[in-house]
Amino acid sequence: MAPSGTAAKRALPSKESGLFKEVLNLYETRQLKKGLKTADQVLKKFPEHGETLCMKGLILTHMGRREEGIELVKKGVRLDLTSHIVWHVFGLIQKGEKNYEEALKSYTQALKFDKENMNILRDAAHLQTQLRLFDGLVETRHTLLRLRPNLRQNWIGLAVAYHLNGSLREAKRVLEHYESTLKNIPDYDVEHSEVLLYHIRILEELGDYQEALNLLDVNAKSRAIIDRTAIMEFRARLLSKQGEHDNAEQTWQALIEQNPDSYEYYRGYFSNRGIDLDNITDNTREKALQSLRDFSSQLPRAAAPRRLALDVALGDDFKALAEPYLFSGLDKGIPSLFADIKSLYRNNDKQQVIASIVETIREQSAAQSPQPTTESEPPTTYLWTLYFLAQHYSHTSDYKRALSLLDEALGHTPTLPELLMYKARVLKRLGDPYGAARSMDEARVLDLQDRFLNTKCAKYRLRAGLEEEAQELLGLFTKKDAPSPGADLEDMQSLLFLTEDAGSHQRNGAYGLALKKYHAVQKVFNELEDDQYDFHGYSLRRFTLNIYMNLIPWEDRLRSHPAYVRSAIAASRIYVQLHDDPSLASRSSSLSGLSDAEKKAKKKAKKALQKVQEETKKAVATTSTNEDKGLEPGPPKDDDPTGSKLLEHAGALERAWKWLLPLVTLAEDNIDAQIAIYDVAIRRSKYLQAIKALKRAKILNATYPDLHVRLVDFRKRVSSLSQPPPEPIGSVVKAAVTELIPEEVSLETYNSQYVQHHSTSGKAILTSTKVLQILGSPVSEIESAAFGSLNPEVTLDIETALDIQELLQTIKSSRASEFRLACNKKFELSTVFKSPNELAELRRKAFATAVAEEEQRKQEEVS
Amino acid sequence: MSSLPHSQPRISFASLTPNNLGTVRKLNSVLFPIKYSEKFYQDILLPETEDFCKLVYYNDIPVGTVCCRLETNPQGGPTKLYLMTMGVLAPYRSRGLGSQSLQEIIKAATASSKPKIDSIYLHVQISNASAKRFYERHGFKEIAVHENYYKKLVPHDAWILERRIES
Repeated sequence: MAPSGTAAKRALPSKESGLFKEVLNLYETRQLKKGLKTADQVLKKFPEHGETLCMKGLILTHMGRREEGIELVKKGVRLDLTSHIVWHVFGLIQKGEKNYEEALKSYTQALKFDKENMNILRDAAHLQTQLRLFDGLVETRHTLLRLRPNLRQNWIGLAVAYHLNGSLREAKRVLEHYESTLKNIPDYDVEHSEVLLYHIRILEELGDYQEALNLLDVNAKSRAIIDRTAIMEFRARLLSKQGEHDNAEQTWQALIEQNPDSYEYYRGYFSNRGIDLDNITDNTREKALQSLRDFSSQLPRAAAPRRLALDVALGDDFKALAEPYLFSGLDKGIPSLFADIKSLYRNNDKQQVIASIVETIREQSAAQSPQPTTESEPPTTYLWTLYFLAQHYSHTSDYKRALSLLDEALGHTPTLPELLMYKARVLKRLGDPYGAARSMDEARVLDLQDRFLNTKCAKYRLRAGLEEEAQELLGLFTKKDAPSPGADLEDMQSLLFLTEDAGSHQRNGAYGLALKKYHAVQKVFNELEDDQYDFHGYSLRRFTLNIYMNLIPWEDRLRSHPAYVRSAIAASRIYVQLHDDPSLASRSSSLSGLSDAEKKAKKKAKKALQKVQEETKKAVATTSTNEDKGLEPGPPKDDDPTGSKLLEHAGALERAWKWLLPLVTLAEDNIDAQIAIYDVAIRRSKYLQAIKALKRAKILNATYPDLHVRLVDFRKRVSSLSQPPPEPIGSVVKAAVTELIPEEVSLETYNSQYVQHHSTSGKAILTSTKVLQILGSPVSEIESAAFGSLNPEVTLDIETALDIQELLQTIKSSRASEFRLACNKKFELSTVFKSPNELAELRRKAFATAVAEEEQRKQEEVS
Repeated sequence: MSSLPHSQPRISFASLTPNNLGTVRKLNSVLFPIKYSEKFYQDILLPETEDFCKLVYYNDIPVGTVCCRLETNPQGGPTKLYLMTMGVLAPYRSRGLGSQSLQEIIKAATASSKPKIDSIYLHVQISNASAKRFYERHGFKEIAVHENYYKKLVPHDAWILERRIES
């Protein structure tokens, strides 16, 4: 019981008590203005009435007067700590701020004082689901069902809660009970159909296949389940699992006939026959191939069986199948043909067969008489053949050949954007980002309304560091009233733009802006995580259970998305750099050294700020209206347009760790992620995390160059500790050091052994050079190691060469420009090793379109 | 492999817009020996010439253009259609693309009622006999020789070919 003093303070005389009830009603119906007036009437007489203060605060928040409102709510809570209303209101506010943990605490408080409040219980259940507190969820759902057993969704809610909590038997029991109480189900009831499928799904997960089949058959026959495709899919899968292979095969066959391009159905069909399409063995190959041939002749319009056959077949079989497949693709002019078959290149023989088939087609086409006959091949076949071969040679790093094929194709047909786009890609790969941007622009002007071309071109400009020019292009397709093209794309959650823009800033040395964009990526993922909240209620209300049960695990793995993983690694690298060298921040953001981009950003931010201020002014002016602004805070104003706060040294590692934490479990197989985790953990003196990451990386690839540097770094850091970490960690660290690098070997020897083992790998040479730097070797030794990468027998790619060049610059080597010139000669088509002056010229040229130049060469003739 | 059947080629036409003008420029730059003025590119986008200025597609790739302008008589006489440019990329010639394009224009001219079109005419350099034969096959007749029509190309003279449009 609440102390009588509080209760007495809460009780209002009958007039005010009526007014307060009216406030509640007015709020429920969102008559905010009236609600506010009525609340004020109560407060005039009882200014200390906590519940009314909270309601007034809540209403004010809805009206957009957020700060004032929250202040009142907090005051109200303090004045009446045992009222369920004040805690409910406080919980609502916290939920609006996406502070789910705190909101749940407030709801739990509220439930203490009103145990059976349906609204509060329901909201609490949603919060528990969002926070994955499934034990509590089961309890809450139980209470809800006990209070209102006649509501259908309360039964389903409990079953789902049990399911999420891993108690499948309980979930099944609840559903059985629920179904037995149903009466008078209308025909073609979608909701009932979904519940039945969900029930069958639970039985399948339990392994009760026969029971699942029985339930499926009865309800399919009675037409209680109305999704015919789902019935067949469930049936095929269950029959396979139950071991009724003949029946299952018929069902899979029927599914394939219904949709002959679903790879999933073929996988099911074959796995039912004991053939794993993804792991074909010599025992299963012949059988699989025969079936796929049969499907191909039965289903002449289906591409899937033909394509799958290419995965399965080997040798002459492969050749016989690949020929018509490739020819038909080229003849039809399928632009994605190469992307489609590229995965076959993992098999060297197949790669060679494909190349020779397409080369033969090219020779035959080239030999054709120029005088066409009705039977002759269309010229587009030749064109697509050249396009295919260019992709093939670019894939095998023969860039010169690829370029000459593309030039031949462009001479044949200069108006096919794909050719120019691919030329751009080849130029990008061989280290000419400006030429690439220019070629992409040529493709773009062929069709200005093609957003794909436009975006690609902007991306290539960003890759070339042409920040402003990229924004110009992006602005052609973004909302015109947005503060900037970038802001609109951020609103639209364009991960492509955010990651590319961040990378561009990073390459330009504007680390603050880069981090800002990476944090915008993080925000997108936070929003995607928040977005599931509404479905905890919606999916139960609308009985869309099966898709909901797919959503939850998907959300749990949300941050395994490549864009998140890449951004996390990149951002953490900047933070680590900042930690190791705090002067990076001052160099990046000192006012005198502001890059153009940063100045622009500042200007833009100022404008945006003005706009926001004007809008808030407007908003204040119109608060007297009833407009509901909801409980979510508006976009916070940007008080750090250049990201300089993100560059602050204090907390840099903590910010990095926040990025990486999800990757500990979600990117276990990504060695770069593990290495990033090590880099941050070791600097935070989290030795166990660091060791775990190193061990994981070693399992993934023991000779990975970046790992080699970390192993040395780890031993060196541990041995230079003034005292070992406290027990029990100390002995774990000690054991790990000897486990990772043999104790008797000195680090110098360890490093030279490594490079001897991988003497032809440019990456290994870079790595051993980095280690020399860590070990404090003399500059001349580092230099000679670095120049070893230029030996003709070493495979050196451009990226590695650039890293070596940067390393030489960092140690202020006098031979840095010698290295640059040598690379410029070695990578003759690339431009990244040119001098700054030459680069400026190339940069200028990136925008002159070829057509304009060609026309200038021609003399003007007025027609 | 040569025994495998080829798919049927698809030939289609598209109107000019500010967005695909880059393709027209590209084609003109490789098809014709002269540079066209900005006025040319403005005129072919005029709404009244939409039916008489086209991009020609072969298997969905733009490989040719045909561009005309309307010549109205200020005194209210008959309107003529002047064929300014017509061209198809070399690998796609002798496949009926030119004929189909010309037929498309003649059809549009015949169907036009506002303005009513009286005739189509064009210039052909007198060294280009095969072009002349091509137009003659489609009902054009030589009506005059325009001396010194081309200022910078040799030979300088051009035939004027014309085809009446009967309604």
